[in-house]
Amino acid sequence: MVQSTLALGVEAVGCAAFDAGIKGAFGYPGTPSTEGFEAAELLIHGAGDGRVAQWAANEKVAYDLAMGVSYTGHRTLVTMKHVGLNVAMDAYTNSALTGVRGGLVLLVADDPGMHSSQNEQDSRRLAEFAWLPCLEPSTVQECYDFTFRAFKLSEALQVPVMLRIVTRLAHCRAALVRRETQAPTSLGLAPEATVQDWVLIPANARRRYVDLLAKQPRLMAETTPLNRLVPGTARRGVALAGMGRAYFGQLLHENPALVDLPRLEIAAYPVDPALELAFLAQVDEVMVFEEDYPVLEERLGLRGTARVRGRLDGTLPRTGELSPRLLKDALGLEAAARKAATNLELPVRAPRFCDGCGHVDAYGAMQEALRNVGASDARVFGDIGCYTLAAQEPMAAIHAVVEMGASISMAVGAALAGQTPAVAVIGDSTFGHSGLPALLTAADAGVNVTVVILDNRVVGMTGQQPSQALDQVERMVLGMGIPDDQLQVLLPVPKQHDANVAAVEAALRHPGPSVVVFRRECIQSIRRGLLKDHDRQERERCTTEVCS
Amino acid sequence: MNVPRIHGIVLSGVGGQGVLSLAQILLEALRRSGLHALQSEIHGMSQRGGSVHAQVCYSEIPLSSPILDEGGADLLIALEPLEALRYVSMLRISGHLIVSEEPQMDMAGYPPLDDVYAALKAVPGAHLIDTEDLARKLNHRQAGGMALLGMASRFMPVEDAIWHEVIAQRFEAKGARITEKNLEAFEAGRGLIQSPVEA
Repeated sequence: MVQSTLALGVEAVGCAAFDAGIKGAFGYPGTPSTEGFEAAELLIHGAGDGRVAQWAANEKVAYDLAMGVSYTGHRTLVTMKHVGLNVAMDAYTNSALTGVRGGLVLLVADDPGMHSSQNEQDSRRLAEFAWLPCLEPSTVQECYDFTFRAFKLSEALQVPVMLRIVTRLAHCRAALVRRETQAPTSLGLAPEATVQDWVLIPANARRRYVDLLAKQPRLMAETTPLNRLVPGTARRGVALAGMGRAYFGQLLHENPALVDLPRLEIAAYPVDPALELAFLAQVDEVMVFEEDYPVLEERLGLRGTARVRGRLDGTLPRTGELSPRLLKDALGLEAAARKAATNLELPVRAPRFCDGCGHVDAYGAMQEALRNVGASDARVFGDIGCYTLAAQEPMAAIHAVVEMGASISMAVGAALAGQTPAVAVIGDSTFGHSGLPALLTAADAGVNVTVVILDNRVVGMTGQQPSQALDQVERMVLGMGIPDDQLQVLLPVPKQHDANVAAVEAALRHPGPSVVVFRRECIQSIRRGLLKDHDRQERERCTTEVCS
Repeated sequence: MNVPRIHGIVLSGVGGQGVLSLAQILLEALRRSGLHALQSEIHGMSQRGGSVHAQVCYSEIPLSSPILDEGGADLLIALEPLEALRYVSMLRISGHLIVSEEPQMDMAGYPPLDDVYAALKAVPGAHLIDTEDLARKLNHRQAGGMALLGMASRFMPVEDAIWHEVIAQRFEAKGARITEKNLEAFEAGRGLIQSPVEA
């Protein structure tokens, strides 16, 4: 028997990147992509052969780090969730023009159904947008195998390659067969003659854009072998991608008659139009099963040769993720007999703050202070993290959550429009991610905005990864131009409640920008002892050196 | 043509109860028994005291779908009674429900406990276990999960030795005593369902 291990789909990508000889892995945590970086990190730390795994302050930084590694001729992996790619968009889109030296694979994890995200955007569209190839596995083993393929493709065509997975695959655990691990090797720096390719001044960029477009036929030649047309006898066919491919594959075992349906199986983009036309020639009607946006559905529909059914005509719901049930219903397969559901009303059990979480004390003080200053209809701009849970009843302490870092800039905007008090709540890691430039603008604008930084010393929500802002928050705040006397650091514990209320009140009443930092380590991090060594070293350092 | 059947297990509970950890033990035991097996889980916000559920499916044939449809589960293992009721329709007609009677009521609108128990007992093939009482008897506060696993093991094609191996490995890092206590809880659960049942 072949040796296998158990791995999540997203972990399989990290393992494959390690086995394919990456020099560096980078990323910013975000469900469901986090474990991709962590799987690579674990192997890299175990190997001790000079490779690096480094969380970045945000996805753009992570992507640029990966580009730097690629520049030196080494292979590299960069991981993020779908909305993280928005943050890295500038780097990503332009990297298509510079191209890569060492293979660069971007793992992006989409979240159809929004299990833990604010939208369900489809990263395949961003691959198309940047003229870059995208591979889309549908099983854990494919996650691994496609990653290997992506590195080869990246180096053969000298472009970054996107590997797109979705939540259900990212968090599917199954047996994985790994290949032999390759040592990291370098292709060396780009030859002198090609240095200008990396310098995107207009003259070079125009040339590189032409080069990128000229690469497209070769790129399609490389992706096409992953796509296939399986003929059938019926005039009704199915077009499948990602989990649609996985779910249909299993239905095929249970309902052997489905084999009559011609199938267009897509695992890589761009899709060769010739393949689409060959498929459409065999069918009068097509059902399209793909995750998120109707990408294939639109393409096939525009040909106008067959009736195309899917999300656009109401055969499938317009939003949300696919499920075997949706496929069965669309295909007219009978539902399985099942036990009757209970008649009892079952209220939702919503996630909540952990017992003993410092955020609860911080919000308690903040809400009381808002009442004390007479803010009858206070609106608080929130951000992305565990503390977003405060948007729920009964706390209802934040009134807007949009994207990473938005809290501060939205509060400044509201303050500029005359809203008082204008309050932002942001976590320490999110502050480092994209709150910093917003605070720079807040200080420059000089408006009456109160920024509350909930510093739990880790990236709490995604599993207590290290926060790049650790021990830096005060210096960061002052460095952005907030005056010394408008920075307060508070301990969010019940015993300090009254003092904390008074401190927040003072900040709210101050006519200019002010910052309140509530600092208490995440309760899960304490339980796991994650910062014990760090804090001991800091204490020891402080006894031997002068510490401010 | 006789197509090998795909078996399904749904696990449910509250974040922090160890639903995902149990699912991983099941998956490993099935894999070591030479079966094709997949597990699906949802991370993220669900970890923080909200409802959590995982699914495991297995078969003699390779699998590609980690998601079960309603009526696709042979077993529902629930660490909390209300969390069991959410997934009853995932069970096929002949399926079994293994559920802890110990409620986690720190949420708004929890129905009267007697109604919850009555609804569970009305499910054909339900096996309720007083995990609180068992934990007391075994002097092991967290015996519940392993006891439920022990009960579930009666319905699964996994040999005793494999269960012991997988459980021992899972708790290896926590020392011999913890391992022993968990094996004891597993056996106690296993003893609650007398004859192995063909799933």
